[in-house]
Amino acid sequence: MSEQSRGAIDIKDLGVVFNAGGNTVEAVSSVSMDVKPGEFVSLIGPSGCGKSTLLNIVAGFVQATSGSALLDGAAIKGPGSDRGVVFQQYSLFPWLSVRKNVEFGLKMKGVPVAQRVPQARTLLGLAGLLAFENHYPDQLSGGMKQRVGIVRALATSPQVLLMDEPFGALDAQTRVVMQEILTNMWQQFRISVLFVTHDIDESIFLSDKIYVMTARPGRIKAEIKVPLSRPRTPEMTYTPEFIGLVQQLKALIREESLAAMGSELKDGGLTGFGMEIGPKGVETVV
Amino acid sequence: MSTVQALRKKADPVAADREADGPAPLAAVIKSPQEIQAPAARNPALLWLRSNGVSMLLWVISIAILLGIWYIGTRYKLEFYIRFTNVPTPAEVMQKVVEVNKSGKFMLNIGISVRRILIGFSIAVILGSLLGLLIGRYRVMRDLLFPICEVLRPIPAIAWVPMAIMLWPTNEVSIVFITFLGSFFPILINTIHGVHSIDPVLIRAARSLGASEFRLFANVILPGAMPHIFTGFSVGMGVAWVSLIAAEMISGQFGIGYFTWEAYSLVSYAEIGLGMITIGVLGLVCSGAIQIIGRLLMPWSTYASAEKK
Repeated sequence: MSEQSRGAIDIKDLGVVFNAGGNTVEAVSSVSMDVKPGEFVSLIGPSGCGKSTLLNIVAGFVQATSGSALLDGAAIKGPGSDRGVVFQQYSLFPWLSVRKNVEFGLKMKGVPVAQRVPQARTLLGLAGLLAFENHYPDQLSGGMKQRVGIVRALATSPQVLLMDEPFGALDAQTRVVMQEILTNMWQQFRISVLFVTHDIDESIFLSDKIYVMTARPGRIKAEIKVPLSRPRTPEMTYTPEFIGLVQQLKALIREESLAAMGSELKDGGLTGFGMEIGPKGVETVV
Repeated sequence: MSTVQALRKKADPVAADREADGPAPLAAVIKSPQEIQAPAARNPALLWLRSNGVSMLLWVISIAILLGIWYIGTRYKLEFYIRFTNVPTPAEVMQKVVEVNKSGKFMLNIGISVRRILIGFSIAVILGSLLGLLIGRYRVMRDLLFPICEVLRPIPAIAWVPMAIMLWPTNEVSIVFITFLGSFFPILINTIHGVHSIDPVLIRAARSLGASEFRLFANVILPGAMPHIFTGFSVGMGVAWVSLIAAEMISGQFGIGYFTWEAYSLVSYAEIGLGMITIGVLGLVCSGAIQIIGRLLMPWSTYASAEKK
């Protein structure tokens, strides 16, 4: 297979059932989706809908109960450096300097020091972090840590980048800048990205394609193509096209959030406050 | 590319500034952080004194209170339930320091105790942390080895003295064994705890970066558990001294514990005081050494603990 056509993810009729203390929980149910080589795909849905589970399957951390998950036609058996993962929590090794964190994957591959140091420095330079190469992760801000995390995942030249709400812990301003940095970096690397988020604007700004998931058990509710041109700029978020997509996605997700919350609220739910959750949303009880 | 550069600056002005090469008009106007800090940092000794002076003074007062009570109690032979009648004065003990150092016997006793600690503690360090890592990481190891540990752990090292004398060929070996036992369990338990406290996301991260089980063990499990392992070393060193002194008092022929006990038998009260102080100083030096080694091996830990504050 040529370099260009690598990084294709194919998921068919996938289901995941967890056993938690005798109870079985169906996290994901008959999901079919795909990421084409070089495509940026987002998974969006209410919290607990199994979007992270789906990403963990592709990462190889979780095994599917039924169905299949293929990477470039081969079944995914376990984690590996052909799929870089960026986690929601900061996952840098606190005992390694920033540069050594970036070198980690190369070290595991057996790349000699003389080669991996310049490689790591090049990547750190791209992310504007070269001045911090000898700092420890605990000396960095949240945004910097996540940039190191992205660069570390890219260091082994994976075909796929899997990102699990990577900017979820950042403040709103940093988040927006990180999205711009990511979309620019992605344009340079041109690898497939599977991006999990619950932020609608973020998913539209970054993606070529968005899968909206239902409340648990997670199913694919809708597949939405993002027709915005590349490169993406912050100004695009004010275009009617963008706003239209936001509205469309909001409506889809709202239904699911209400469905998820409705079953969460027991014992009469919010009726004490004069509210109830109905099909149209939060309603006032007369 | 220009967007990337612009974004880079927006996100991270410090890095962008530092990286900027070529003539930058702004750089001339804005002083570098070093320049701004320069006048204040000119006299580091003065700075240190300013921030730590009060603490230092209180430390001195704290020690002075202890010495004062000792001095007054022994000088006036106070008796109020506690009896200072036979307790040596600080001056008598100081005098003893000079006296005992006339022969090499005192230093020999110290040397022998330190050797016993070093051997017993080193074996405990190797076995305790290795078994701790294995038990912490692998279920099979835990199920196989942990019951043995849990059965033996509640038995204090001192309770092993008679058994140790029967088990081992010489007294020397049994004392080292007691020292080893004392430090082994704190190291083992803390290491297991250290492995369990490693954030699972770090293990996932390492796996997704292609780490094999062996490399994961060496590159993530070991450094990840390291802060707790060193806590185990500190506690273990304390218990090692407790066990050593007890063992020396009961079965020893040499050693600082034996020296102290012998002084009691020979009614040489000043030597009892000297023995106690020596044991205290040795313990302090040993735990200090562990702290320093820990800080050298884990330079990141200062930032990690600062983060948690």
